[in-house]
Amino acid sequence: MVPLDHYLVLAMILFCIGTLGIVLRRNIIMVMMSIELLLNAINLVFVSASTYNQNLDGQVMVFFVITVAACEAAIGLAMVIALFRKYGTIDTQFLRTLRG
Amino acid sequence: MGQITIFYILAFLATACSLLVISSKNPVTSAIYLVCDLFILAGIYASLQAEFVAAIQIIVYTGAVVVLFVFVIMLLNLAPNEQSSLGLKLPDIGFTLLTVLSFLIVTVLLVNEQSSVSGGALGPPEAIAQLGGNTRAVGMTLFTKFVWPFELASFLILAAIIGAVHIAKKDPKPADKAYGNLKASNREKAIYGSP
Repeated sequence: MVPLDHYLVLAMILFCIGTLGIVLRRNIIMVMMSIELLLNAINLVFVSASTYNQNLDGQVMVFFVITVAACEAAIGLAMVIALFRKYGTIDTQFLRTLRG
Repeated sequence: MGQITIFYILAFLATACSLLVISSKNPVTSAIYLVCDLFILAGIYASLQAEFVAAIQIIVYTGAVVVLFVFVIMLLNLAPNEQSSLGLKLPDIGFTLLTVLSFLIVTVLLVNEQSSVSGGALGPPEAIAQLGGNTRAVGMTLFTKFVWPFELASFLILAAIIGAVHIAKKDPKPADKAYGNLKASNREKAIYGSP
């Protein structure tokens, strides 16, 4: 029997890796993949807590998180395409229009 | 004993795949490692007796979201010098803060070992087995207790579809101009003949 702490520590490691990807990568597509890693870490916490508390609400929450992640990927990739069409690059170093 | 060995193997593979996702140079390689990572996480969900979540993880994430990523990577067709590698600058302040924060979280988790949460039974409760399996139980919860959030999720998907189509749509003016130029060159070619 695996203790719940193991799942939580694994989820935290995955979350930290995803955050590192967001901070360090400069390609916007890579940043979005790192966001998917973050959402997966959160899903792991939901599922493990749901199983250990014997309450199915957590798994339903994972369903909603996956829905929101799919919407976020669709909108974000559409924005990436629009950005690439307008500026010709998706490197965050060169996209500094919103920087005051 | 076997269960914890399987968990450690899956956890090691998931961590390695996540590190490879954020550290590969080519975005397509990262997408493939992301697929591996999602499959391994689906395995962890299945070992937690959440079969429905494991199935929709594979179908939705691996089958739809990553394919969308790969399509966009293919569509943009980045030049090799635009595929930025992992610019690791270790004494960066954000990196340091993140490391300290994650170390603190691990320490707190390991020191405050709460026996009430770590001793839960992993087996499915009799209620789920009586309902006829995990998928049926999740469906019953989804369509009774969470029916309004479910409707809101469908509305969110509709808004996302419309928004994605609108954002990724070409501007009509430059598209018309490009088409006009193309027509003009074709007309030229038709008049003067191809060289």
